Amino acid sequence: MKYQSQAVAKPYFIAAIGLFVGQILFGLIMGLQYVWGDFLFPEIPFNVARMVHTNLLIVWILFGFMGAAYYLIPEETENELWSPKLALLMFWIFLVAGALTILGYLLVPYAKLAELTMNDLLPTMGREFLEQPTITKIGIVIVALAFLLNIGMTLLKGRKTVVSLVMVIGLTGLAVFFLFSFFNPDNLVKDKFYWWWVVHLWVEGVWELILGSILAFVLIKTTGVDREVIEKWLYIIIAMTLITGIIGTGHHYYWIGTPEYWQWWGSIFSAMEPIPFFMMTIFAFNMVNKRRRNHPNQAAVLWALGTAVMAFLGAGVWGFLHTLAPVNYYTHGTQITAAHGHMAFYGAYAMIVLTMISYSMPLMNGRKAANSNKSQVVEMWAFWLMTVSMVFITLFLTGAGILQTWMQRYTDTPLNFMAAQEKIAVFYWMREIAGVVFLIGLTLYIVSFFVGRNDPEAVIEEKAAA
Amino acid sequence: MSETFTKSMARNIFYGGSLFFFLLFLALTFDTESALPDRDNRQAITEKVALGKKVWEEHDCIGCHTLLGEGAYFAPELGNVYKRFGNSTEAIVGFIKSRPENGIPGRRSMPQFNLSDEELEAVAEFLKYASEINTNNWPPNIQG
Amino acid sequence: MTHADSDIGHERPPGDLAIWIFICAELLVFAVFFASYAFTRANHVELFNQWQSTLNRNYALVNTLALITSSYFVVRAIAAIRIDHRSASLRWLLGALAMGALFLVVKSMEYADHYSHGVNLRTNLFFMFYFSLTFFHFMHVLMGMVILGVNAAVLRKGGYSAENHRGMETGGSYWHMVDMVWLILFPLVYVMR
Repeated sequence: MKYQSQAVAKPYFIAAIGLFVGQILFGLIMGLQYVWGDFLFPEIPFNVARMVHTNLLIVWILFGFMGAAYYLIPEETENELWSPKLALLMFWIFLVAGALTILGYLLVPYAKLAELTMNDLLPTMGREFLEQPTITKIGIVIVALAFLLNIGMTLLKGRKTVVSLVMVIGLTGLAVFFLFSFFNPDNLVKDKFYWWWVVHLWVEGVWELILGSILAFVLIKTTGVDREVIEKWLYIIIAMTLITGIIGTGHHYYWIGTPEYWQWWGSIFSAMEPIPFFMMTIFAFNMVNKRRRNHPNQAAVLWALGTAVMAFLGAGVWGFLHTLAPVNYYTHGTQITAAHGHMAFYGAYAMIVLTMISYSMPLMNGRKAANSNKSQVVEMWAFWLMTVSMVFITLFLTGAGILQTWMQRYTDTPLNFMAAQEKIAVFYWMREIAGVVFLIGLTLYIVSFFVGRNDPEAVIEEKAAA
Repeated sequence: MSETFTKSMARNIFYGGSLFFFLLFLALTFDTESALPDRDNRQAITEKVALGKKVWEEHDCIGCHTLLGEGAYFAPELGNVYKRFGNSTEAIVGFIKSRPENGIPGRRSMPQFNLSDEELEAVAEFLKYASEINTNNWPPNIQG
Repeated sequence: MTHADSDIGHERPPGDLAIWIFICAELLVFAVFFASYAFTRANHVELFNQWQSTLNRNYALVNTLALITSSYFVVRAIAAIRIDHRSASLRWLLGALAMGALFLVVKSMEYADHYSHGVNLRTNLFFMFYFSLTFFHFMHVLMGMVILGVNAAVLRKGGYSAENHRGMETGGSYWHMVDMVWLILFPLVYVMR
């Protein structure tokens, strides 16, 4: 750690991991509800569990992004953070607001929560992923603005590298497109149309800029490859991301009341969306192969490579699987979508945050470069358990989705929804088992922070590095 | 001349390309906006339908169901439920009203929301409106 | 282009390699668009023939000539800068820009024609493709002109010379791509029966 103020990232990362645990626990509850319909009913109905699951995901990823920015920006710009105090204050505001919102979901019926938070004044609640009460949304905007001010001022007074610039563009885009969450017309088609300006332009747009910059930063640090080379790649990859991804929004406009031409525009551009992810995979492996030193934090390198591969599989391959309009006609809104969503979110965004944590936490804990061997071994076990079980979750959901599509959509004698669901229950059971393995992996991940703390740092023999 | 691939060119492509495709996206959005009146069934949006949408949102229906294929995949598609229930708003009202307080043992259960008659009718009207949006013939069949 | 180029070597494409990544990506998009068009057309031959015959081919012909001429002007501009004839190079470049502008004007007239007849992106499958393809290309002409415009501005300030004119080669490569796409688009959409 080169600058004192980078340490504000630590509480952000700790909160992120804590919320991640919550997300997985509620995921397991939902997984069980898929096969044991009235599990926890009526105390925690499925929709409540799902809100908690998805909102915790968004919030912990945001915590991770902010933490990553607070760590990365001072180091890149070569000066202290503009205001570490503001960063800490915003941490507590965001954490408390997030916790209150989640508690609100769990403790009172959603309609009551809407009433308590005066949703009538500016109704924005009750849309997928944007379930937060309007007041929470306003809070998110305030936190985001304070955060951008802090990061922006730090950037202004320091060295402007490509990595930091791209990250700030991504974070600004994140804040700007979130504003569309306040637009909720009575017209359902318009509502859905602009809802995607938040959701799609986040995850297949500006978030990928943040992902790219974090990955570039960690690769610069761990491989010692010339910054010039990495930054060129970064520009080209994110250029391809936005070139394909912006019009790629069209793959959501096939069946929601929007004109038919979106089927062509959406299919053509989203068919290209795997390209930047593929480039990212090639890039990451290339840089690691060209490394000038062997960094002792092997766990961080593993996470970085894992991100590149899993983002390509989850977002690229599984996205492509159902993005073409003639295919999507049958698969739209089935478990295929769920399969894609799980692997893409884990592979791209969960893993990039874990990459950054893996790289920076040892440094913030006073290590010179890396944790002890023992700790890294446990962390790598966690990596493999979580990643492999996520692959299986995706495969089982894909299997469920294919059968569901067949039975409910494709045959001449389509089954009704619940009849089809019952026939694929075995896939949901297997998914749940894979989910338990994921939780074990996550537990090991947390354990890795506590083992081998008094052991010496891992070192790489010099001859290997030469 | 040694650099065949310059960072400044990569940067220009990023800024130029992104701006270019965003402008194109705005142009298509503009065209979509002018096309929507013929497709989105807006003439059916009454105050009742607007209330229905609010009831829909304030009970987080999207947390279990899909609507035009978007939402959660735990419970049936509702974009065409009006048609699936025999073009009947009464059937929709009856279904929502009759959900048992403690669920159906062992099965996926819909909560009893205790909606007022006005809210029930409104949400049914909202679903009727949704079923008459031009969705390019989606879903493939009545099962949604 | 062989003499002044001899110090660079001929394996390398002209201009910045980064633009070639972009050009490849763009060509890929156009290729898929064209393939979709051909595929759809094969399934709706009559509809496509019927509406294709309503297009005004004179506009398209003028535009084809405009783009070919402008591409030629760009070649001359780069040839001129290679022997350090800066003012000649600038004149050629401005000529290319003028031809690009002519394309935009003519194409806009054609669009105005369509709109006055109430024809748009949603009229039918043929016009969906017609407008998508030509408008996508139209935007590329605009983009190409912005790039050539920047080239011209840099050239005016003396930013290019016989030794260093990479930027012009880059802009020229992009412009030729835009031109070439039109040369496929024109027969495909206007002529082929």
